[in-house]
Amino acid sequence: MDFLLNLLPYVVNGISLGLLFALIALGFMLIVGVMETINLAHGSLFALGMYVALFVITPQFGWFPELQQAYLALPLGARYVIALALAPVFVGTFGMLLELAMRRTYGKDPLYGLLLTFGAALVIEELIRLIWGSTEKQLPLPDAISGAVRLGDLVYSNYRFYASAFAALMIALLWLFLEKTPYGAIIKAGAHDSEMVRALGIDLTRLRLFVFALGVALAAIAGVIMAPIWGIRPQVGVDAVVPAFLIIVLGGVGSLWGAVLAGLMVGLVVGLTGAFASAWSLLSMYLLFIAVVTFRARGLFGRKSVLDA
Amino acid sequence: MSAIDNERNEPPIDTSRRRILKVSALALATAGAYGVAPFFGPWKHNHAWSQAGQKKPLVLGLTMDASGQYAASGMDERLGAMLAIKEINAKGGVLGRPIEAIHMDSETTPATGSRVAERLITRNEAAFLIGALHSGVANAISQVAQKYGCIFLNTNSSSPTEAGKDCHRVKFVWDGNGTNFALAIVKNAMAVNGKNWVLLTNDYVWGHQTSKATRTIVEANGGKIVEELMVPQNTRDFSSYLLKIQQIKPNVVAAAIGGDDIKALRQQVVQVKLNKSPAWINNQQDWPDVYGLGPDAIFGVFGTNWYYRLDLPGVKEFVAAYQTTYPGVQIRVPGNTYYNGYMATRELLRAVERAGTTNNIKVIKELEALKVSARDRMQDFDAYMNPATHQLQQTIYMATYNDAPAEKDDIFRILAKLPPKDVEDPEAPTTCKLESYDATPSYEM
Repeated sequence: MDFLLNLLPYVVNGISLGLLFALIALGFMLIVGVMETINLAHGSLFALGMYVALFVITPQFGWFPELQQAYLALPLGARYVIALALAPVFVGTFGMLLELAMRRTYGKDPLYGLLLTFGAALVIEELIRLIWGSTEKQLPLPDAISGAVRLGDLVYSNYRFYASAFAALMIALLWLFLEKTPYGAIIKAGAHDSEMVRALGIDLTRLRLFVFALGVALAAIAGVIMAPIWGIRPQVGVDAVVPAFLIIVLGGVGSLWGAVLAGLMVGLVVGLTGAFASAWSLLSMYLLFIAVVTFRARGLFGRKSVLDA
Repeated sequence: MSAIDNERNEPPIDTSRRRILKVSALALATAGAYGVAPFFGPWKHNHAWSQAGQKKPLVLGLTMDASGQYAASGMDERLGAMLAIKEINAKGGVLGRPIEAIHMDSETTPATGSRVAERLITRNEAAFLIGALHSGVANAISQVAQKYGCIFLNTNSSSPTEAGKDCHRVKFVWDGNGTNFALAIVKNAMAVNGKNWVLLTNDYVWGHQTSKATRTIVEANGGKIVEELMVPQNTRDFSSYLLKIQQIKPNVVAAAIGGDDIKALRQQVVQVKLNKSPAWINNQQDWPDVYGLGPDAIFGVFGTNWYYRLDLPGVKEFVAAYQTTYPGVQIRVPGNTYYNGYMATRELLRAVERAGTTNNIKVIKELEALKVSARDRMQDFDAYMNPATHQLQQTIYMATYNDAPAEKDDIFRILAKLPPKDVEDPEAPTTCKLESYDATPSYEM
């Protein structure tokens, strides 16, 4: 019984971590699922989301000091909400530009898309370095979501609860959007059979642009949410893109619930090994991946390919 | 390069007419595509100096991380090395020769460190190699350097093994190591905070060796290591570690965590309000890893070998030179990693000047006999190179957050300053087996 009671905090922590991993992977999953393009710039766009939020919360308008002063007079909570809204819009727009560049790679060897997004990742990271420098930054948090709460003997971070709840909300909203709206139906149909969607008179080019922007905006939201936990630095995107890639393959490419379940599994495994076999905590997610993919090559919720029939 | 004893095993150069024609055609094509300037690139380095009647530049290979866990500190130490080079070039260089620096990113990865070292020595004809943060990378570079006899200055990598079992005749260690810092901090922390300790260890050579040194001192003084938690490199989420620490309830957590990992750890400790209790010690706190984190995150007691507000002669001028040379950098004042990069480079070039030659064996002997006054090093006590381990023995400072800062960047309060004799690593001389001079390839550039 004592063991179970001791274990409980780690399970809760693992679930919370899993929701955050799932949030990081959502945008990646959407782009891979619909466009069959692996967006290696996902991590850099995640980082860009962090920096845009930082700028919105603590702006440096060198030429307009009065404007800056007036804006900074707004409560931190209000600026945080503005950042959470503006970061995905800005990064999503940036993503649209990237999608325009990617169009020439559609229908060609997937390596072209990989190379292009890899190059974009490097460019974005260096742009961040040029604009914001390479030192560590911190995202100021409103009081309502910072601080800590004592539950029994243990102290938990309020922000963790907020971040996990926010991740769960984003997952639910994305599910509602994909399942309950006509736009979601078009996206899913586009993922299933793009030629048929085009034959029905739907502008596939615009659909791809929209999906890419949405996926990238989700990366930016994940960046804003993870910023207070991971810290803000130009190379932080690498920390996001690797687990995101692993989670979508583990969950089954293009599956929302697959990504969520895989995220939770990875969170639990990392959280539990962190406590009981700490040296294995990072390796554990790769071992889980190998174990699952060995027996189910298309991931947990991956659809059967025509080649498997 | 005129090799006294050519051990570099370079492949013979193919000088057949066909090959020369091919290479020339390729070079012309490149010039056509990109303008004439690229064609003169290698010529500028290898021949233009002789045509202009200048002496051949002395090339320093900078093996500093620009990416990975220690990217920030790698950039910082590079700035230090570059300022030392700039100052010496302004005085006419070394032996009348200008100094050139070539930097290659060692990526906080041992395999890259080896590759970069090999390339700098064999292709770029680097006379000396400078720079390292990650002890695994430092060890990898030094193995390549020893193979060629190329002197390598380990500027900032602090595993005790660097001047212990992984020491080499060509390698000189410029920073304090995990044992030095543990000797400076641990006994005092036990007296003040208690005897039950948890070790939080970065899972690679520096973390292991530093925690081992801490464990030895704790146990020798009647304390107990309740648990050692291994932290893989690039860990970004410390929540389960922090839960574990709360369950264990130790008196002290001794962290041997570095680079981006310690930044994430510090922020997450603050989020769960563990920064006040238990007591924290971080063996060594590199300046770029703490700069900009904010007062709450700079908790605990930690070691360093230099601070920009030490009240010593030359410090203000050193800080001013940094700020004048690098006005745009975000770290507005220099820290320990910059200082080590600067000092190592300066002392190497001075040693070459004193030796009157670039012959590596003669320069090694100069460095082995190195003594630097406290004034010259801007530290509280004189420093000296231990010829048996090739580690510079120097002042170690114990510091904590400064809650009464004189200015924005004044975030450290120095608690104690310890002379080199008090913190000397007792194990290093017994484990370090330097190669003989004869077994070290000799060269002159």
